[in-house]
Amino acid sequence: MNRFLPREAWDRTLAIILLVLLLAFCTLIPGFYAGFGGTLAITEQFLPFGFVAIGLAVVILTGGIDLSVGAIASLSAVIMAILTKSAGLDIWLASLIALIIGAGLGWLNGIVITRLRIEPLIATLATSFIYSSVATALAGASPPYGFGKPFAVLGSGTIEGILPVQLLMFIVIAVGFSILITRTGFGRRIIMVGYNRDAAHYAGVAVPDLLRKVYGISGFMAAFAGIVLASYYDAVRPDMGNILLLTAITMVVLGGVSIFGGEGGILGVALGVLILGVLRQGMLIAGFSDMVTTMLTGGILLVSIAAKNLLSDRGFGYGALLLRLINSRKQEAAPPNT
Amino acid sequence: MSTTTLDAAPRKRKPRREVREITLLVVTIAIVLGVGLIKPQFMRYDNLEFMVLSAVVLGLIAIGQTFVIMTSGIDLSVSAVMGLSAVVFGLASTTIHLPLAAALPLCLILGAVLGSFNGLLVAWVRIPPIIATLGTYSLFGGLTFIVSNGTQVDQVSNQFAAFGNANLIPGLPIPTPVLALAGVALFAWFVLNHMVFGRNILAVGNNAVAAYNAGIPVKRTLLFVYMIAGALASFGGLVFVAYTGSATATTGTGDHVELQSIAIALIGGTLISGGRGNLAGTVIGSIFLSVVITALVFLHVPAIWYSAGEGLMIVAAVTLGARRGGAG
Amino acid sequence: MKSITKTLLLASALCSLAGIAPAHAQGKRIKVAMVPKLIGLSVFKANEKGAIAAAKKLNIQFLYTGPVTASAQGQVDIINSLIARRFNVITITSNNPTQPAPALERAMKQGIKVVSYDSDVAPDARDFFIQNTSYPAMGKAMVDSVEKYAGPDAKVAILSSTPDAAIQNAWLGAVKTYMTANFPKMTVVTTQYGESSPSKSLSAGLNILQAYPDVTAIIAPDGAAEVGAAAAVKKLGRTGKVFVTGASDPDSIRQYVKDGIIKASPLWDEVKEGELVMNVSRLAADDKLKANDTFTVAGLGTYTVKDKVIVFSKPLVFTAANIDQYHF
Repeated sequence: MNRFLPREAWDRTLAIILLVLLLAFCTLIPGFYAGFGGTLAITEQFLPFGFVAIGLAVVILTGGIDLSVGAIASLSAVIMAILTKSAGLDIWLASLIALIIGAGLGWLNGIVITRLRIEPLIATLATSFIYSSVATALAGASPPYGFGKPFAVLGSGTIEGILPVQLLMFIVIAVGFSILITRTGFGRRIIMVGYNRDAAHYAGVAVPDLLRKVYGISGFMAAFAGIVLASYYDAVRPDMGNILLLTAITMVVLGGVSIFGGEGGILGVALGVLILGVLRQGMLIAGFSDMVTTMLTGGILLVSIAAKNLLSDRGFGYGALLLRLINSRKQEAAPPNT
Repeated sequence: MSTTTLDAAPRKRKPRREVREITLLVVTIAIVLGVGLIKPQFMRYDNLEFMVLSAVVLGLIAIGQTFVIMTSGIDLSVSAVMGLSAVVFGLASTTIHLPLAAALPLCLILGAVLGSFNGLLVAWVRIPPIIATLGTYSLFGGLTFIVSNGTQVDQVSNQFAAFGNANLIPGLPIPTPVLALAGVALFAWFVLNHMVFGRNILAVGNNAVAAYNAGIPVKRTLLFVYMIAGALASFGGLVFVAYTGSATATTGTGDHVELQSIAIALIGGTLISGGRGNLAGTVIGSIFLSVVITALVFLHVPAIWYSAGEGLMIVAAVTLGARRGGAG
Repeated sequence: MKSITKTLLLASALCSLAGIAPAHAQGKRIKVAMVPKLIGLSVFKANEKGAIAAAKKLNIQFLYTGPVTASAQGQVDIINSLIARRFNVITITSNNPTQPAPALERAMKQGIKVVSYDSDVAPDARDFFIQNTSYPAMGKAMVDSVEKYAGPDAKVAILSSTPDAAIQNAWLGAVKTYMTANFPKMTVVTTQYGESSPSKSLSAGLNILQAYPDVTAIIAPDGAAEVGAAAAVKKLGRTGKVFVTGASDPDSIRQYVKDGIIKASPLWDEVKEGELVMNVSRLAADDKLKANDTFTVAGLGTYTVKDKVIVFSKPLVFTAANIDQYHF
């Protein structure tokens, strides 16, 4: 697969698309460029999707899926709010506990998947029902809000009035996860399991153990997104995470991660997050309705994956043929000794 | 950790005789009897009829989904197709007084056309099914908004309402939608077990490359499978609007019918990795979910815990069924 | 619709004849956006109808834009884009009172006026709030309807949208206060939720009737919920035994009012409310409205502003006698 389109090439394509998009929006859409800091501030509106997407990408790299990310985000945010509002805990401590609980919920997903041997899709769908019930019950009739200025920094603060805190965290996390996947044994094992589970098992990888950790990571990142959302909205809701899931999957896939596992990288996912986010916000600012924006996002997903197939040898074959032709010409033109 | 490692050993044993539908049936009957003991009202005919009736729409869509999953695919766009069909034919019944006899074939055609779009994307453009149908989910969903132009279906014509609620055969106390589900399920079973097309589906799901080498028309099989899923989703939308009398632009997508239909197919014993389907399990699975929800209401469980109860019962039902390797 | 426009035209013509043309109509052209909870629902479309008519007369460039799902996050995205597009006034009925608040406060900081209507946001996040009708009056109207048709000892089931829906909770609070004070024998036997989805509301309605056979009235203060509850009563043949009331637009409930399942259902004139929203927007943009004030709108009447809250009207109770006068 993708014999003619290595990951670096897809990442480069995404980077170019992002640049073109930004340039086009800044010049063509009045109101999009609101000073350097103002434009960067747009990222605050969609980076929570990005945090979820990075955690989800790790799961998808193993060939699994996590449908419970939205419910975990909501539940963790609600727990954080209850701990600080009702139990009087310091908000940062409450957030830390909520993050640990989020990781625990993800780990529980892993337990259900590996011990009860239920397919990830059905297992995480079932747990998402349970988690969202708990979130609704805990949140009650009027869910908590108003967490104070210092906590708002997480969701809408900036460094020196220019760099949004969310964007800084996103860069750090994306780089961290990228190193984790490409430079550590753990990351290589993740890819190996996704590429060929049986082979990974015979190579000595403790697959269930690894899967539990991976789902724990996804749960942690979902909880992190939930906390950031709570800070950005200065409020929690038991259904606030519901919309995260489908967009996050779209971002992961656009980022070049194969839905079947074993292929893709975090850098691509980060670019996918930025492209989809900027595109949506830009189109809304340009005056397109939410409906048109949503439809076009779906269309772009289809076209981009089709284009990727066209350029690799996965799809129609014409594009691949063209590339092959160019490559063979180059080889012919090159000196015979090289 | 060594035990867990052993647990995860890839299993290549012969597929066991499928018992998932029997487990599900037993669990469902156990719930009916158990709750019926506490609340006799639960076992009355009208309640049983109503529980089956409320399973029809999801059951129809889940049968289409089962076909898709058997080819190791997935169709997330069914909810959008269902909503589009519900809005289109609901509005048509009130505004241009479209007769039911015309609506039925038109709705199947609409669904098949939308479904074949998915099929083209999957089979010819080779976009992974989950992504292709995620994209069309947004496209078809948007189309629903365009068609409805911000309004909703408030009531359907009497003809439609009769189709959704009344009994087709006088004297036989079975509502038309339930008969429709039974008919579709039987037909699907026949196609799967007694037609070449059915064998082709399973062959494609087991190993698409091997199927191709064996001369099976893989692309055409995939196209038909997505067409079937689309047609059944559209039919589900028609039954929905006839049964409820109302529909909005978020019908289907708002209730995450796509996820529910996948859940039902998997609960029923269809393998997400393809190659094996269980239509009886799908039909019983849809009734099982409807019974679980109604039982929770009868047992006076607070409403906020319904979805938790549903989630726990899914885990229980799937765990109680035949254990197979390859999960996770 | 046409008759309303005619009346308004006539009214404004009379005003100008009398030389008391509303002063705010001459202001500079402003951009006003109306953000509903989601697009695709008739009630919000009715607001839009009235708003468009009023905007023409008030020199307002009008935009109706909302999310495709009932999500506060979708509304926030739209609010942010409206800020970037330098709208003068944002009017909104919010999916919940807290989540959109920071974005609206950001808008206010940039000099944009925020007018909430229908479902309020946190008081700090808007300049004015147009309350449909006072909460106690709405609660009273619903309980009175139950008392009149199901008796003072009615067993009531509540079918709401979600456990944390602000406006539904406000109404239900008023329902319970008025009920205990005036009809101590009336009891609420269960509270269920339909999540504003037609299908979930219908199943919830059916489940209530099956699981609580002694229920004689259903209070469903949500558009989808009232329709679901009434449809459930009709399906199970309990017409005349179970009465439904709630808050829904006349088009949706017309057939059930005629069937006698819904005898009286309070709401307000959504079209005229849309007109008021635009008039308040104009006044707010021109800085002509104080936190405590009175103002007159030609064709609508005189309104009092109290702590930035304007109560639009008394409940308008739809009955078989008057429902055909209203179309939205």
